[in-house]
Amino acid sequence: MHVSLIAASQYFSAGLCMGLGAIGAGVGEGFIAGSAAKGISRQPAMAGEILKMMLIGQAVTETPSIFALVISILLIFKSYSGSGVIEFSALISAGFCMGAGAVGCGVGCGFPGAAACEAISRNPRISNKIMRIMLIGQAVSQSTSIYAMVVALVLLFVIK
Amino acid sequence: MGEIGKILQYHFNIFGYSITVNVETIIMSWIIMAFLMIISLILYRTVSLVPNALQNLLEPLIEGFDNLIKDTLETDDRKFYALITALFIFLFLCNIIGIIPGCEEPTKDLNTPLGYGIMGFIIAHYSGIRVKGLKKYLLEYLQPFFIMAPLNLIGELAKIVSISFRLFGNIMGGSIIILVVSHLVHNLILPPFLYAFFGLFDGTIQAFVFAMLTLVYITLQVKE
Repeated sequence: MHVSLIAASQYFSAGLCMGLGAIGAGVGEGFIAGSAAKGISRQPAMAGEILKMMLIGQAVTETPSIFALVISILLIFKSYSGSGVIEFSALISAGFCMGAGAVGCGVGCGFPGAAACEAISRNPRISNKIMRIMLIGQAVSQSTSIYAMVVALVLLFVIK
Repeated sequence: MGEIGKILQYHFNIFGYSITVNVETIIMSWIIMAFLMIISLILYRTVSLVPNALQNLLEPLIEGFDNLIKDTLETDDRKFYALITALFIFLFLCNIIGIIPGCEEPTKDLNTPLGYGIMGFIIAHYSGIRVKGLKKYLLEYLQPFFIMAPLNLIGELAKIVSISFRLFGNIMGGSIIILVVSHLVHNLILPPFLYAFFGLFDGTIQAFVFAMLTLVYITLQVKE
């Protein structure tokens, strides 16, 4: 009875983690793609640059959801020993922590990407500076999802 | 499937100290280093004004990074150029070597990204102290309020954590996803696309983001 409690909590929190983790990146990447379309309509000659900026921005925005997928897969496919309430709550909270932590960062990283795609269309000459500020902005806004992943990994690997 | 989190390690004792070695990480890193050194030697011998094939392939990369670094640091001094470009090339090769069957990415082990993150941090702060002087450097931690000093300090340490874990999470996560999904579809049809996305595309972008962020941290320290 106790062993299956741990297995149950594993699967429950894996689903929670990836489900919540998919929210943020979906919204954020949508923003970026929408602004890329607007940017191309303003400045068709920069379509190549805008595409490059959009792909880079979307890849960086994807990162918190990749973290959530990693934690989900670790939850599903690794077997956890122990029994009892401590391991149960650690597994559930690991999934919830990473899942909820990926929401805000996914959305938040979408804003600099979207603004960057439109900014290139307004001022194509400084595309390097725009890419730089976009990457810095996205990197700093992703910090909290990285903290969430660190906490989730600690929760998963401290219970052996 | 149960061996997802495990790493092959050798333990041995030298002079009374016990040393643990992560075998695959180190061997793969050496292979990539040897490859880069051989390519550099070949290019060094055959560099010419009229480019040959290999030179033609690499010149846009070198020029692109030159312009990027010149724009960011706003100086013609090429002091950090070698560091950032070498970091990008090495991490790029580290991330995509997973495509070759039997090879594992060295960046899959937390030690590699963490090591380069700490290296970038030390270089940035050392350069900052050299350019600004120790007193001005320390005074910056007290901006804008006296009370903010611990928060500024934590912010600096958080930069190491974020830059390293971003690279580690992306590459390790990608490899775990490839492993699990390939196992689930019995290695039919899907794995090459997964490798293309997680290995080539994601690996390139994360290497670029890592090198760019290291450059940005150096710039923040060096340019007041």
